[in-house]
Amino acid sequence: MLDWLLQSDFDTSVTAALWSTVIAIASTLILFLYTLGLRVATTLAERRRVPLIARWRRIFASAVVSDTAGPWSALPQIGRNQQIDILEEWNRTRTTVAGSATENLVSLAQHLDFPALAGRMLQKRQIKSKLLAIQTLGHLRGEQSWSAIVEAVASPNSALSITAAVALVDIDAEKAIPELVPMISIRRDWPQTRVAMFLRMAGSDIISEPMCRALRDGDPKSQIQLMKFAPLMDAETADRVADELVRNSHDAGVLAAALKLLSGHGGLPRIDELAEHEAWFVRMRAAQILGRAGLAEHLPLLETMLQDPDWWVRYRTAQAIAALPFLGPNALHQMQQRQTDPFARDMLGQAIAEAGL
Amino acid sequence: MTTEAFVHHTQWLFLLYFVGINLGYLAQNLIATIGIRKYLQTARQFEAEGVFSSLDIPISVIVPAYNEAASIITSIKALLQMDYPDFELIVVNDGSRDATLQTMIDAFGLQLFPEAYRIRVESSEVRGVYRSLRFKNLRIIDKVNGGSKADAVNAGINAARYPLVCVVDADGILQTDSLRRVVRPFLEDQTTIAVGGTVRIANGCVVRQGFLEEVGLPTNYLALVQVVEYLRAFLFGRMGWSPINALLIISGAFGVFHKETLIEVGGFNKDAVGEDMELILRMHRIMKEKRRPYRITFLPDPVCWTDAPENLKDLKGQRVRWQNGLGQALMLNRSLIFNPRGGAVSWLAIPFYLVFELFGPILEVLGMFLLLYFGWMGWLGWPESLIFFGLAIGLGILLSTSAIMLEEMSFHMYPRIRDLLVLFLVAIVENLGFRQLTAIWRLQGLFRWLRGGKHKWESITRSASVSDKT
Repeated sequence: MLDWLLQSDFDTSVTAALWSTVIAIASTLILFLYTLGLRVATTLAERRRVPLIARWRRIFASAVVSDTAGPWSALPQIGRNQQIDILEEWNRTRTTVAGSATENLVSLAQHLDFPALAGRMLQKRQIKSKLLAIQTLGHLRGEQSWSAIVEAVASPNSALSITAAVALVDIDAEKAIPELVPMISIRRDWPQTRVAMFLRMAGSDIISEPMCRALRDGDPKSQIQLMKFAPLMDAETADRVADELVRNSHDAGVLAAALKLLSGHGGLPRIDELAEHEAWFVRMRAAQILGRAGLAEHLPLLETMLQDPDWWVRYRTAQAIAALPFLGPNALHQMQQRQTDPFARDMLGQAIAEAGL
Repeated sequence: MTTEAFVHHTQWLFLLYFVGINLGYLAQNLIATIGIRKYLQTARQFEAEGVFSSLDIPISVIVPAYNEAASIITSIKALLQMDYPDFELIVVNDGSRDATLQTMIDAFGLQLFPEAYRIRVESSEVRGVYRSLRFKNLRIIDKVNGGSKADAVNAGINAARYPLVCVVDADGILQTDSLRRVVRPFLEDQTTIAVGGTVRIANGCVVRQGFLEEVGLPTNYLALVQVVEYLRAFLFGRMGWSPINALLIISGAFGVFHKETLIEVGGFNKDAVGEDMELILRMHRIMKEKRRPYRITFLPDPVCWTDAPENLKDLKGQRVRWQNGLGQALMLNRSLIFNPRGGAVSWLAIPFYLVFELFGPILEVLGMFLLLYFGWMGWLGWPESLIFFGLAIGLGILLSTSAIMLEEMSFHMYPRIRDLLVLFLVAIVENLGFRQLTAIWRLQGLFRWLRGGKHKWESITRSASVSDKT
């Protein structure tokens, strides 16, 4: 067959088609064999991995419940091809524990020479290795890795950078947070859930002052970004900053973010002005805070806002009115009936129905 | 021109076409392979923490329903159990002629609710909004039939209260973690305006109470071929365009959109035959016109399982409709073609779709018949005819095999080695008949578009091979 193909005197286009076909078939065969090989390799690896992980899970679990950190004896030998699986399992266990159990796990990891392993993995080119290395170094809480992890925070790779930030907080939150908070508004690529995670890990005592400083000194763009995480600060500080921003800011985004956070217990600064703000989302937040404050003196203002041209402002206003503690169902229905604006009337009707009144 | 010259030029034309289309697909394959590897490397790390927080973006899940009385309750119950902290479910009954609405009223204790419904995108008249007494996050919009799924979705968009809108087919089976996964691009990149997930074939799978319990392959040949087709379409078709922000379609069966952007571009086009593709093209066009940075992303792991047609009539209807929709969507957004500001969308994706996807069937069907004709007339020797036929088939098998490899490298949803071998067999056999048949249907779809075909709600016969243990 091959002889015939090679000897045939085909036109150039047919020859090109012939060789393309041969290449396509050969590539298909290679892919087919590779895929089958991959399936076999994965199955075999999984068969080896399952008992290995089960064994080490038991070892880590007994370390967690142990009264003392070591001495560690009679541990099984770790083969080179088992290291990654065991390291991943150690990290998984480490994320689930706190307190003295952490010290036990760290002590066990040191006995198993994980710090050196993580150090070697950090030098590798693959992102997956680097991520596992950084996560491990953070979990080990070793100060000696600090500078290497700080370098990783500056990486343009989002996953690497945010994992490094989390690791720094793991090692020393008090030292890390003042460095990381200003970066929150710069590194927009950091996933917000992970930022919230490291702020929560550090705790409100540690984050409140750096966050407060950054909020006061930042430009409106940074302020809006940081305000998303302000609920993680201690409530009093967050309320104080929100109050300051409501009093002083002229940026609609900042005002809306600050109004969302403001408790209203210390008064409602500029509320008449904000209820007529040109940005609908500021008016909407103003309606919400009027509802949270729940004062009778604001009822005329809320009733006016019920006629706002924006649906969301009307909706939040109606919800605020329906939630006022001093208005019963009769008063609400009377208020609904006296609305001359049909949009206001319908919206209040919806809010009353939603409240089940 | 002599017969010999005509045959010679024709040979070159087809050769160039086949090499061109397959080089394009192989390039997508390469980008997809790199993209999926990169995605999986970081996804596991991010998943490990699995934290929900107040920062999770609330989602309005919209389910358009037309004559779905038989399955709507199971679908809603399954959707209400999605693993996501804050979402509302809006089911739009598009004037169903069966008992869809009454079934929902009875099952969920619905009550008419005085909602201040506002119209932000065009849709037919809403007759009423119902609220469930048992499920606070469930609302039903009952509207006059608008003749299309797009019209029903638009009504849902008008009622949606959350910043993200997720559109799911009423017969789609979402994996419980799909919302959690699909929302990630919105959290990681604030310019993200739309995200699509993978659609896989549910035929042959075991479904219990609206949840997928066991993945399997269908026994029906047509459904089986579509399993491989969908692997090709999603794993490298979509994943190949997404990294260069040139994704032209997010499946109507499962997509998430930034609501305000969706409203800004006018919502779904109720007159579009392929409303899902038309929307994405319009989003590209309008964002580019306004010079706004944006991302339209595809993710391979949020999965929606869907019922595939198992008979030729339904399958033909679907393929004709898709081709008609493709032509219409490209025509409606033609200003994107070779637009100087259009980037990869205008200079790579749209030209590829135009030449190979829209007009490709002309060459494919013509090539098939000319090959036979030339052979019959003796203008082309049978060995040469066989070589060209072999090329078409060989490249087809290569592409399907590479899609199966990509699946094995990434998600290996089909755990049995037998399933893998069946998929390989299908990758070969589909080239003998099925592909040629779909090329003819696509050609019919092309002609229908040229004649100005209209769109109606699509319904397919429910497959017997989805084993539902409801």
